[in-house]
Amino acid sequence: MNFERLLIGGGTLVVFLLVWELCADSDAINPLFISSPSRIVHAGSALMTDPDFWNDVRVSANEFIFGYIAAIVIGVPLGLLMGTSRRLSYIFAPFVDTLNAVPRVTLLPLLIIWFGIGIWSKVAVVFLGAVIPIVISALSGVKTNEARFLTMARSFSASRTRIFASIILPGTVPYIFTGLKYAAGRALLGVVVGELYASTAGLGHMIADAGNMFQTDTLFFGVLIFTATGLVVVALLDRLERRFERWRPNVGAAT
Amino acid sequence: MKRFYLAHERAILGAIGVVLFLMLWEGFERGWWAELLQPPLGPQAARFQLKPIFISSPTRIARMAFDMFFITGAIWKDIGWSSLEFALGIALAFAIGIPLGLAAGWYRRLNYAVEPFLAALNATPQVAFLPLLILWVGTGLASRVMIIVLLAVLPIAISALAAVRTVDARLVRVARSFSAGDALLFRSIILPSAVPFLLAGARLAVGRGMIGIVVGEIYGSSAGIGAMISQAGSRFETDKVFVGVLTIATAGVALVELIRRIERRVDVWRPQVAA
Repeated sequence: MNFERLLIGGGTLVVFLLVWELCADSDAINPLFISSPSRIVHAGSALMTDPDFWNDVRVSANEFIFGYIAAIVIGVPLGLLMGTSRRLSYIFAPFVDTLNAVPRVTLLPLLIIWFGIGIWSKVAVVFLGAVIPIVISALSGVKTNEARFLTMARSFSASRTRIFASIILPGTVPYIFTGLKYAAGRALLGVVVGELYASTAGLGHMIADAGNMFQTDTLFFGVLIFTATGLVVVALLDRLERRFERWRPNVGAAT
Repeated sequence: MKRFYLAHERAILGAIGVVLFLMLWEGFERGWWAELLQPPLGPQAARFQLKPIFISSPTRIARMAFDMFFITGAIWKDIGWSSLEFALGIALAFAIGIPLGLAAGWYRRLNYAVEPFLAALNATPQVAFLPLLILWVGTGLASRVMIIVLLAVLPIAISALAAVRTVDARLVRVARSFSAGDALLFRSIILPSAVPFLLAGARLAVGRGMIGIVVGEIYGSSAGIGAMISQAGSRFETDKVFVGVLTIATAGVALVELIRRIERRVDVWRPQVAA
C-alpha cells in the first residue's frame, strides 16, 4: 500500500525528469528555455565552489533568520497578550486586520525608501510577512482554550500567572506552531520578492540575474534551493511541534 | 454613559487606537511633535519632524487618493489592467486546480503520481519562478497572468482534493448500491459537498492572487496597480504608494467578504447531509 505510493510517486518523478532531459538533449525544445536536470546538476556543482554563491546564500539566510526571529519574538507575545486581554485586542485588532488584508509585499517600495536596498529592507518585509500569521494564530490559540479548565482553575483560586503558565500557554502551543509553519512560507516569499525587487546580493538576486542572462540552469538551481529550504523548515517545525506535544499532558483525551 | 461604553467598548477602543495612530503620524509630518518638544529638547526636537517623502501623512494620502480617483482619474487605467490580470489568472487557476484536485482526490493512483509535484511546488515560494516565466513569455500580460495562476492554483487544487477525501463514504456506498455511475455520483454527491471546500480554497487563492498582481508587475510593466506602486516608490511619491497599497487592500477585503457571503448562502441551501 505505502509501497505503491512510493513506487508511483517516485516513478512519475523519474519519468518526468527523463522526459525533461530528453526534450532538452534532442533539442525538441531549446535548452536555453527549459535547461535540463543534468545541466542543473552541473550548474549546481559549479556554484558550490563559487564564493559569490556562498555570499548570496549567507545574505538570504540572514534576511530570513533575522526577519523570522523578530517576527516570533514580537508576534507570539503580542498574540498571547491580545488573547488574554480583551481591551488590548480591541486596540490592536484594527491594525492587525488591516495589515492582514494588505499583501505585505506591496509595502516593499516604502520599506526600500525607509531602509535602503540592503539587507534591512528585506528583513523588514520578511518580518511583516511572518508576524501577522503568528499573531493571529497565537491569538486564536488563546481564544479556543477549554473554558472548563479556566473555570476549574479559577475555582481553585489559581493566580493569573499560574493560569497563564499552566493552562493558556500549553494549550496555545499547537496553534503557534501552525502559525509558525505558515509564517515560514510567508518569510521565504518575502526573501524572494524583496531580492527580485531591489537588491545587491542574495539568492533571489542570483535567480533574477540568471534569468536576465539566460542561465536557465542556475535559475533552476536557485529555485530548488528555495524549495529545499521550505521543505526543511516545515519538517523541522513539525519535529519541534511533536516534541512539545510529547511533554504536554494528554488532557484533551479524557473526554 | 458607562453602559454605552460597555456596549460599544470594542468600537470605542478600536477607534481611539486608530485615531491616536493617525494623529501621531500626521504630527510627525507636520512637525507638531517637534514644536511640542522644542522647550525641553531645544534644537534636538527637529528630529521629530520627518520629511513627507519619507512617511507622507494621512491627509496627504487622502488628498492624493481623491485626486487619483475623482479628479485626474489616473488610477482607473491601472485598476483596469490589474483586474484583467487578476480575473484571467484566477479563472485559469480554477480551471486547472479544480479538475486536478478532484481527480487526484478520487483516483488514488493519480494522487500518488502528482503528490511529489504538489508538495514541491507548495514548499517553493512560487514567485521564484517569475524570472523563468519572463524568460519564456516576456514581461507582458502573459507572464503576469501566469504568476497569478502559479500562486493561486495550489490552494484551489489542495482544497478540491480535501473535499473529495472528506465526502461521506456512506453516501457514496448508497449511491453505488443503487448502481449510480461515476458521472452521476460525481454530479450529485461529490460536487455539492465539495462546494464549501472550494470556496475556502477560493478565499486563500484571492489573497495569493493579490500578491501575484503586485509581484508580477514589478518587472518592466507599464500599467497596473503594482507597477504604479513601484514607479511611485522609485520617485519617492510616498503618498501615491500608500494609495496603491490601500486600493489593493480594499479590493482584497471586498473580494474575501464577497466569498464569505457566498459561503453563508451555500451553507443555507445545502441539505444537511452529514447530520
